[in-house]
Amino acid sequence: MTEQYRFIGSRLFTRRRFLVTTASSALASYMLLNRPALAVATDAARAGNFGELDATAAEGIDLYIENQDLLVDGSIGRAITINGSVPGPVIRMTEGKDALIRVHNRLPESTSIHWHGILLPFNMDGVPGISFAGIPAGETFTYRFPVRQNGTYWYHSHSGFQEQRGHYGQLIIEPAQNDPVDYDAEYTVVLSDWTFENPHNVFRNLKTIEGYYNFQRPTLANIDDQMQATGMALGEVIDKRLAWQGMRMDPTDIADVTGATYTFLMNGKAADENPVFLAQPGQKIRLRIVNASAQTFYDVRIPGLPMTVVQADGQNIKPVETDEFRIAVAETYDVVVSLPDDRAYTLFAETMDRSGYARGTLAPREGMSAAIPERRRRPMLTMADMGMMMNGSMQGMDGMQGMSSGSHRSMEMPMDRHAEGGLPTKNLIERVKHGPAGHGPASITMAQTAYRRLDYPGAGLGDDGWRVLTYSQLRARERPPLRRPPTREFYLHLTGNMHKFIWGFDGKKWSEADMIRFQYGERLRINMINDTMMSHPIHLHGMWMDLYAGGDLDTNPRKHTVNVQPAELLTVDVTADAPGQWAFHCHLLYHMDAGMFRTVAVVRLLEGESIDADA
Amino acid sequence: MPMPRTRFTAVVSVVALFSNPAMSQNESGTEDMPNTANLPDHQQSAHHHQGAPPPDLDAPPLPEGMTLDEVFNYAESEPPAHFPDPVADDQWFGFVLFDQFEYRMTDDEAPDHLGWEADAWLGGDINKFWLKTEGEAIFDGPNEGESENDFLYSRLFTPFWSVQTGIQYANEWTSDDYGDRWSYVLGLQGLTPYQLELDSSLYVSEDGDLTIEVEGEYDLRITQRLVLQPRAALGFAAQDVPERKLGSGMTSANLDMRLRYEVKREFAPYIGVRYQSLVGETEDIAGAAGDKTEQWMVLAGLRFAF
Repeated sequence: MTEQYRFIGSRLFTRRRFLVTTASSALASYMLLNRPALAVATDAARAGNFGELDATAAEGIDLYIENQDLLVDGSIGRAITINGSVPGPVIRMTEGKDALIRVHNRLPESTSIHWHGILLPFNMDGVPGISFAGIPAGETFTYRFPVRQNGTYWYHSHSGFQEQRGHYGQLIIEPAQNDPVDYDAEYTVVLSDWTFENPHNVFRNLKTIEGYYNFQRPTLANIDDQMQATGMALGEVIDKRLAWQGMRMDPTDIADVTGATYTFLMNGKAADENPVFLAQPGQKIRLRIVNASAQTFYDVRIPGLPMTVVQADGQNIKPVETDEFRIAVAETYDVVVSLPDDRAYTLFAETMDRSGYARGTLAPREGMSAAIPERRRRPMLTMADMGMMMNGSMQGMDGMQGMSSGSHRSMEMPMDRHAEGGLPTKNLIERVKHGPAGHGPASITMAQTAYRRLDYPGAGLGDDGWRVLTYSQLRARERPPLRRPPTREFYLHLTGNMHKFIWGFDGKKWSEADMIRFQYGERLRINMINDTMMSHPIHLHGMWMDLYAGGDLDTNPRKHTVNVQPAELLTVDVTADAPGQWAFHCHLLYHMDAGMFRTVAVVRLLEGESIDADA
Repeated sequence: MPMPRTRFTAVVSVVALFSNPAMSQNESGTEDMPNTANLPDHQQSAHHHQGAPPPDLDAPPLPEGMTLDEVFNYAESEPPAHFPDPVADDQWFGFVLFDQFEYRMTDDEAPDHLGWEADAWLGGDINKFWLKTEGEAIFDGPNEGESENDFLYSRLFTPFWSVQTGIQYANEWTSDDYGDRWSYVLGLQGLTPYQLELDSSLYVSEDGDLTIEVEGEYDLRITQRLVLQPRAALGFAAQDVPERKLGSGMTSANLDMRLRYEVKREFAPYIGVRYQSLVGETEDIAGAAGDKTEQWMVLAGLRFAF
C-alpha cells in the first residue's frame, strides 16, 4: 500500500533497475528525506499553470483527470492533474443556466468531482458511495445540473486521498443579475497544502505515531522561549506544562500535518515562486480566496492594506473591513482591496500552526515583491480551549445575564414574531455542560463545558494589534429566502481521540453509525459541540447551513462549511429542501477518512409519521 | 397532551434553559447548566414537524428522470451494493516498533549481550493483534540467551488504556540446554496522567506460577529530536519458583536511561545505561548460589519502526 509516487518517473525501467531504484529510494525516503532531490533539467510541467473554462457554455466542458509528474516548488511530485494542472482549471458558470461537465478518468483508479457548496440533484454531488458509484478508471461521467446560485466556490475529488495530490480547483458562478460587489479586476487565490509523501503514508503515520509531524512541541530547550513570549516565570511555565501533561494533552497539537512534510501553495506555487497579482493603484481588486487544503488552516493578511470582506462561502455578506482572517479548510472568502500607491504588497497566508506559509504579491508590475513578514510564534492551546473560561474569554456572559434578568420574554419574542412557532432564534443558550456519559474509547472529552466562541478569532490570533475577522461579524447582505425559526433540533458532538487518531461524531465513526435523517421541508437546528481540542471545519452537502452568528435570523450568513473551534457550541439552522442522500463531515481530509463523517438522508417522513402528501 | 405538538420542542428547550434559575446567576455553577445528556441527539429526535413542506420551498433539485417519490424511496434505502464506502474508516494498520535494539556492554568481565525489545501490532482502532518480544543473547561467547514473546489480543477500552490477553512463550538456552514455558497473559497497557507509558502484565505459567511485570517509560524532550527516556521494569512473583530461582515478592529491577536522536520519528540511534538488579529473596537465592545479583551496562542501539 505504500507505493512511492515520487521516485518513479515515467521513463521505462528494466525490472532490475526498477527494483534497485525502488529499494534505494524507499530506503532513502525511510531514512531522511521528506522530498526528492531538486529536479535538474526536466520536461515536467510546473504546478500553477491553470486555465479557465465556461461550464455553462452550450457545448459544456471536458475535464481530464490523470496522474502526472509535476514540478512543485522545484521538485518533481506525483500529482493528480485536471487538464494538466494543479490546481485544476478555474471553472466558470452563469447563474440560471445549465452546467455540463464531462469528466474523463484517466487514472488507474476510481475518481470523482464534488462541487463544493453547490445546490444540485443528489446524484450530481460527486460523493462515491452516496451520490453515485464513482467514476471508474478509464470512464467518463457527465455532470449536468441547473445553476441556481452565484459566488465563489470550488471543486475537488471525494475519492480517497486524491484531493491531497492536487485534485481541486476553483469554481466561480456569475450572478444572473448585477453583482452587488463593485470591483475592477479579480483574481483566483487557491490555497492548498502539498506533500511529496504518499498520502496513505501520511494517514498511517498519524494512526501509528502520535505527533508524527509536530516539531514544535514543548521541550526543555524552548522553556526559555516560552518564558520570554508569555512573560511567565520559570515556575509558572513548568506548572503550566505539568498541567497539560497531567491531562495527557499537548498544547502544541494545533495541526496534525505540518510544514514538516507540507509545501504550502498559493495557486500551485510555493512562497519562493511568488505568484504575482497585477493591480494598478486605485483599482478595486477582488480576490476570490479558497482554502483547498487537505488539512491546513491559513491566516491571511496583506500587511499595510486593509481588506474588505464581501463574500463568505460564495454568499454576499455586508462588507466588513478587516486586517486578517483565518480561513478554515474548504471555506471561501472574497475580499476587495485597493493599492494606495505604486508599490508591491505581500499577500501572506501563514499556517495556523506557524510551521510555514504561502505567499504572493499584489503589485503594479511583474517581477515586484515586498517584504515577507516574520512568522509569528506558534500558538498554544489554552484552558479556554477546554471550556474553562478565563478572564477575557467570557464573551457571551452578557447574554447569560440578559437571560436571567430578561426571563422568558427575550426568548419568546422571536417565536411570537412567527405565527407558526418554532425554536428561539436570538439569545440562544450560551453554554452547555457535557453530559455525564462519555463517548467511549474513541473520544477524549476535554471540554466539560462548551460555549459560544463567535467573537474568538482563533488560537494565535487577535493579539497583534490589528483587526481579525470573526464569525460574529458575518451578516448576510440580503435576507435569504427560507428564513423561519427551526422546529426541531439536535445536538451533535464532534469527538476524537487525539492520542490514537480516531475521529467521529458522538464517539462513532461513519462505519459504526446510522444515517442522520432530515425530514423534507423541515427547518432543523443542529447544535454542534466540539469535545476535542482541535478545530473542525464541518461541511454539509446539498443544503445551506444558516450560521447563528449572534444577530437576527434574517442576517445569519449561509455557509457550506463552518469551523467549530475547540470547546465551542456552534449552532446552524438547515432547511431540508434537498431530497436524497448527502455527505456531512469534517473537511480535514484525514479526519474525514478516519470516520468523522455521516450520511444525511432527507426523507419524506421521520419515524413513520405521516405528512399530507397533497398539501 | 393539551399543548399543540408544534410547540413541543420550543417548550422543551425553554424548560431546559430555565428549569434551574441558578444557572444564569452563578457563573461558576456549571452544575446547573443545561446538560447534553438531557438534550436530544439525532438518535432520539425531540420532535417532528408535522405537515406539508412550507410554501416558500423552492422546487427541489431532483435527478433527471426521477420523481420526488422515487428520490424519497432512494433516500430511505441503503446505498446500492456496488457503491464503495464513502470513507474507508475501518481499515487495519500494521506497525512494528523496535524500542530497543542494542548492544549491552558490561563494566566488568561479564559477557556483553545483544538485546531487543519490540512491539508489533495489526488491527483497527479498537481491536488489535499484538506481539511483544524481548530478550537478549551473549554477543561474543557461549551461545546463551533468553526471550519472552507475548501473543495478545488487545482492546482499547478507554481513550488511553488497552486490556490485553493471550499467551506467552518464554525460552532460555545455552549451548547444551534448552528450557521453555508457556504462560497465560493478562495485560494493561496505556498512558497514565503525566504521560507515563505503562505496560503491566500478569502471567500464570503452565505450572501455575503467578508473576507480574510492570514497565514504565517517559519521554523527556530536550529538543524536537533529542529525547531522554528513563525507563523502569520491575518483576514480581506471588510465590517461590525454585526452578526459575525466584523468591516471592519483588524479584528484579531494571533501570534504564536512553538518549536518542530522532533522525526521523521512526529512526533514532541512541546511547544509554542500564542498572539491573535482583531484589529480595530472589537476590538472596542468587547470592547464595554465588551468582551476580547486580550489573551496570552501557547501551548503544537503534530505535526504529516500520
